[in-house]
Amino acid sequence: MNFKVKSVFFVLFFMSFISFAQNYMLKGQVLSGEDKMPLPGVNVLIAGGTTGTSTDFDGNYQLQVKDGDVIQFSSIGFVTQLIPVTGQANQNIDLVVDASTLDEVVIIGYGTQKKSLLTGAISKVTNEKLDQIAVSRVDEALIGQISGVSIVNSEGEAGGAPTIRIRGVGSIQSNAGPLIVVDGSVVDSDFLTNIDMNNVESFEVLKDAASASIFGSRGANGVIQITTKEGKEGKAKFTYNTFTGFKEGLQSDDYDIDFEAELQRERDITGGLSLGSQMRQLINANNNWQDIVIDGGVIQSHSFGVRGGGKKTKYNINLSYTKDEGVLLTDEFERFTAQAKVSSELTDKLKVGASFSPSFTGRRRFSASGLYDVIRQPSWVPSRLNDFNIQFVNRVRDGGAYADAQVGDYVLQRMFDDFQFPAGATSIFDSQGNFQGLPVSSGTDISNTSNINPLAKLLERERFEDRYKFFGNLYANYKLNSDFSFRTDFTATYENRINTDYQGINESRNGASAANASYDTRSRYGLISNNVLSYNKTIDKHDISAIVGASFEHRFFEESQIETSGFTSDVIPNVGGGSIINSATAFDYQNNLNGFFARAIYAYDNKYLFNASIRRDGSSVFGADTKYGVFPAVSAGWVVSNEDFLEDSNWINQLKLRVSYGVTGTNDFAGGFLVENYPSLALLSGSSAVVDGSILPGFNAQNIANPDLQWERSVEINPGLDFGFFNNAVSGSLEYYNRTSDELLLNTPTGAPTGFQFALQNRGEVENTGLELEMRLRLVSNENFKWKASIIGSRNTNTLKDIGDANGQVVNTGDGSRLVEWINLVGQPISSFYGYVFDREIAFEDLNDPFRQVGNKTQFVYAKDLNGDGLITEDDKTILGDPFPDLVWSFGSQFEYKNFDFSFLLQGSHGAKTYNLGDQYVFDFFNSNTVDFNPATAPDQEFLVQRIFTDDLVQDAGYVALRTVSLGYNLPESVTQGLNLTNVRLYATGQNLFFITADDYTGWNPEHQRNLAAGSLASGYQRGGTAIQRTITLGLNIQF
Amino acid sequence: MKTKYIFTGLIMMLFLGSCDLDTIPTSAVTVDNFFTTDEEIETGIINIYDALQGSNPLEGSSDIFGNGFNHVFLGIQIEYQMGEVLSDNARTKSGSPQGFDFEIFNVMPQTLAVTTYYRSMYRIIFNANVVLENLEDASQENAVKFEAEARFLRAYAYFNLVRYYGDVPLVNRTIAPDEVGLAFTRVPQNQIYDFILSDLQFAENSGIDISSRSRASRGAVQTLLAKVHLTLGNYLDAQVLLESVIASNNYSLESNFFDVFYNESNSETVFSIEFDATQVNDSQGFSAEFLDAVGRGTGTNYATDELVAAFDAIGGNRGQVSFRGDPGNPGLFQTAKFLPIEDTNVGDIPVPSNPRIAGNDFIVIRYADVLLLHAEAIMAGGTVTSSMDAITSFNLVRERAGTSAPITELTKQMLMDERRVELAFENHRFLDLKRFGVAQEVLSAFSAANNHDFQAFELLLPIPSAEISISQGLLTQNPGYPN
Repeated sequence: MNFKVKSVFFVLFFMSFISFAQNYMLKGQVLSGEDKMPLPGVNVLIAGGTTGTSTDFDGNYQLQVKDGDVIQFSSIGFVTQLIPVTGQANQNIDLVVDASTLDEVVIIGYGTQKKSLLTGAISKVTNEKLDQIAVSRVDEALIGQISGVSIVNSEGEAGGAPTIRIRGVGSIQSNAGPLIVVDGSVVDSDFLTNIDMNNVESFEVLKDAASASIFGSRGANGVIQITTKEGKEGKAKFTYNTFTGFKEGLQSDDYDIDFEAELQRERDITGGLSLGSQMRQLINANNNWQDIVIDGGVIQSHSFGVRGGGKKTKYNINLSYTKDEGVLLTDEFERFTAQAKVSSELTDKLKVGASFSPSFTGRRRFSASGLYDVIRQPSWVPSRLNDFNIQFVNRVRDGGAYADAQVGDYVLQRMFDDFQFPAGATSIFDSQGNFQGLPVSSGTDISNTSNINPLAKLLERERFEDRYKFFGNLYANYKLNSDFSFRTDFTATYENRINTDYQGINESRNGASAANASYDTRSRYGLISNNVLSYNKTIDKHDISAIVGASFEHRFFEESQIETSGFTSDVIPNVGGGSIINSATAFDYQNNLNGFFARAIYAYDNKYLFNASIRRDGSSVFGADTKYGVFPAVSAGWVVSNEDFLEDSNWINQLKLRVSYGVTGTNDFAGGFLVENYPSLALLSGSSAVVDGSILPGFNAQNIANPDLQWERSVEINPGLDFGFFNNAVSGSLEYYNRTSDELLLNTPTGAPTGFQFALQNRGEVENTGLELEMRLRLVSNENFKWKASIIGSRNTNTLKDIGDANGQVVNTGDGSRLVEWINLVGQPISSFYGYVFDREIAFEDLNDPFRQVGNKTQFVYAKDLNGDGLITEDDKTILGDPFPDLVWSFGSQFEYKNFDFSFLLQGSHGAKTYNLGDQYVFDFFNSNTVDFNPATAPDQEFLVQRIFTDDLVQDAGYVALRTVSLGYNLPESVTQGLNLTNVRLYATGQNLFFITADDYTGWNPEHQRNLAAGSLASGYQRGGTAIQRTITLGLNIQF
Repeated sequence: MKTKYIFTGLIMMLFLGSCDLDTIPTSAVTVDNFFTTDEEIETGIINIYDALQGSNPLEGSSDIFGNGFNHVFLGIQIEYQMGEVLSDNARTKSGSPQGFDFEIFNVMPQTLAVTTYYRSMYRIIFNANVVLENLEDASQENAVKFEAEARFLRAYAYFNLVRYYGDVPLVNRTIAPDEVGLAFTRVPQNQIYDFILSDLQFAENSGIDISSRSRASRGAVQTLLAKVHLTLGNYLDAQVLLESVIASNNYSLESNFFDVFYNESNSETVFSIEFDATQVNDSQGFSAEFLDAVGRGTGTNYATDELVAAFDAIGGNRGQVSFRGDPGNPGLFQTAKFLPIEDTNVGDIPVPSNPRIAGNDFIVIRYADVLLLHAEAIMAGGTVTSSMDAITSFNLVRERAGTSAPITELTKQMLMDERRVELAFENHRFLDLKRFGVAQEVLSAFSAANNHDFQAFELLLPIPSAEISISQGLLTQNPGYPN
């Protein structure tokens, strides 16, 4: 704050004391600036006070005023105006329609357009308070903000990428995530990890194919464009934003098994405790594993920026630090980003700009592959051996594997197995109270898993992911004349990602023999050149704009990886400490794209809108015979509200009908660098074999050549409606879309004589059909109190239309002995859970060792004999549900009262199911070869199947969550001025303060999905998952 | 005017630059531009041996190939399931998924080993065909050698396929995914055998190398060919070939049975699949799988009571190296021929640092087998022979085992029993029983005694359901099995 401002303030302050002005009645009329019609209901207030009135039906008002007052005219949908009273008797005024709601400019890919003239489905989210949501990633802050965009925090680790899907899953095996564009340049999706929300100006999401097709062969799954903050004319504005959040992970009550209650249940039923239960009781450590592993954490963020500029040169500089401890024992995420963005108008015609942003992110990964390790360990299991429990380590079993057990060692349940008690003994103690178990190699078992306890898995493994990233962009814009301009930009991106992993010698039950280390470094370079010639002209009522351009993208990669094992100690906890090279590989690969595009937009009288575009993409990914693809799009709109017959409507402000049709593609194939970059070639890579005592090099074919391999194609039709009613107090849009994605890349199963199990072919087809509603309400808007609300809802139906020869194929988890299944059936969603229908449990009296299972839940249950043939066969399997939600919605509301503001966002999802294998770990004594019922007494054994193959584990994944609730307070100017600051804001935010899941859901996060090799063909599988994070945050924004 | 120039310049700029769209990675090569020199073709040959090795289930391969026991190409590493567990020789410790279906004679078209073994054999055939199709650039001197080696290995794979699965699709070149007629039409066994014979006869007449114990050699080719002839009942052809192997003097029995398995590439080895414990990709995982709780294994390929009894009767000193008591499960016996851990009772075993990444070779053909096959050829399908040549060969094997009680005639039963103990856990038993024509009888009796459910149709494995389901109705199942 400088002297000048202070003096003005002082003078104003002083003036209020020295003027003793006379009260009088001021009259006037308020008209709409656009059509000069009188405006009724306009609030007319004396600013800073409570006196006021509103205009009558003819727009007239009268108000008692005095000299020096400032009168505020405000009405929903119009820009508020302030008029000082200087003795005038009459004050007429024209209110101007608030352009910010109507004519926002939207980035449409290689250009911009006024929102009112859009003909495609594009959603824009401006970063107003998104940077106050305490998450470590920008994408997580967008949950519930945009219709049709599903952002699912499927991983749950600090800094882990959520799964983003726009309008459903449109790929079978390829990456179904959207294309990410930062300031006009296409970047890798993991760029989202490195962006700091404080740098973001807005997100523009291209949802329909007509809008996305300007990105051609990569637009099929939608496009998220991120615009970073630019400089602004004005003096330097410094900002410091910070928040600190306290996180906890939401535990599963269902998995919180009370060991004492289990014992009591056994006593109640049998009148005593089995020897095994007595052993467990003896050793009982009362560990709450959820408490140990889901330990909560702190998230904090500091961002310091300066923004400003002169008439010609503007700048924005920002420095940020974020640290997120996550809610799990070992996960942590840290990020440093720096950004500088400068632009300058060198001449009237030439503008140049540059932006540079280096960043670093570091993650320590949660070491276990999910929380299932936690749930399979009962609470009696100690984490380490101590002076007491070491007495009961069986040093002879497993060939003496635990002979050297010492105090402090991590506990494996099996250490306490196989004690032999005297025949007929009912107690583990003899009459003198001494433990009478004898360690033998086959005795009483008390373990339910051979795995080591999770503490060892977490603490003895170190898994890091570090990324250094650089994004630099330089552009020049040259105005050729009043109609034409040319823009060229050049972007360079660089990323070095280093993954290291060390599984120490105490990390698993297999000890040193399982210890291994890996080091994987990958550098990715991108060089992108975009060149666009644009034309803009308005002739009378004709608005014409057009672009023609070309984009060249060259990306290259270098990766090398080494994995070693054969560790004898933890002394060197990296690849250097191993004596066996498990693998050592080095790759380099590239991925090039040449795109040529053109677009023409025509609007007549702001009523009739047309848009046509075409892009021709050539990509190195495609086969020799299909290098180039063409992606056309057309769309049209009719602004009904600008027609004469609605011009006079006093409640319809905006009504636009539009329809779009477009073709887009995907070349983002998934499955390792060969498939991602060279799927069409028959590549050889190194192999080796031992002959005559030496390891000799060989070359091994990796795939079958397919010169016709091409992009996946999406064709989408999208009629839509934009509306604004009651001075735009109610506005929004309604969309319907039908997107057919065909030529989907499939790893089509091939006969063994081809030498391969699969061949990549363009064969699949999937359809997504949906409805989307976005509605924004301004319920109250006056000087002291404002209330806005938003309603967002999306429905999507996913249908598999073609899957080559594999219709009806059953795929499984490929996950050890947990081969639960999905069916891929044409006419159904891409993947549906498949299995038996649960009928009933085995009767208690027919169980073996019933108290070994928590709650007597056994691995075998009776299945329904659906076809009634008296047998349970494959024919009795049926579809058990699918993992795709039918409805996703959010409801947000914002209130402002004087200097306070309050907002919340409720969000929900309904109709999805999940295959939750977590239950198996808690409730079953799972061992596929152990029969847990008594074969001599259990009836109808032909109807018994393993529980995991029934719908007993298919659970409702629906939820309703209070995603954010936030309370903010802006310090009054009187205070901030005193502090030499322009703005100070304090806020508190809560995330997921409640998260209600369906009754039958037992796990931690209904949205969690464990990624399986079968990809979209087997989705919705949970095996533990990770906890939902509840965060309470305090934040501070300072501007000076 | 000036504007026009600028325009033209800018528009040219738009379209001048462009990136190369025909890229290949420097770290990989394509089939089309490789195999142009002898050295490169040699790497193709080595790659066939890589397929022979199968995959250690520990290999963390890319998704497409599956992991662990879902790996597509486990090959030899799970062959014990059909070779031994599917017989009266071996069992699982307690229902290990690795072999349980075989133990109880409940092998299904979905059984993982059935699928992975089938695919593994065709992978060998594919790798061989890649070489055979790219020989035009080979030097004259090496072209025949390459062809012989590839065809020997291809014949090895087809011989396994035809014996385990019966009629199978026949491809003599690499085929495209849409050539479904070739990929899924089952060719009668006699045609498969003709194809095998032509491959092996070519190899035999090619002047192939004689020295290697893990690559195609004249002795390996002749023994395999002899075995094919024996299977087909061409006893005289077999006898001639085996006598040629014996007469070559390239092979002799190791005096110490322990050394056959733990002093690798010894004079007894005719053809082995070698492994190395320093690289997962070149190691094997079955050694650990055979033990209980070494790594993930829950114990498989344990000796049946019947096998233990056979050793007690005629095993001589071979028992000590063939099996050992399971230290964790008294009364159960593990194979001791491939131990990746110390056991001084068995001998001084070279131990790898990780038992799951073991280097123990798998011997496909050894001289003792040659000698016993020789006796079998002379017996010529009969039940007894007093030929001194047969008895000499037979006695050589017995004497090494320390069981040299003199005999004057050799019966089929004696020969079968001898093969059983001599070659236990070397994946001969099931196929031997079939070749001797007694499989149905022996396995029925064994099955009845152990409450298993052997039926005659199970002398052929099922065709993998995964193949049938994608064959558009072309591929048929073996009788007795569901599809």
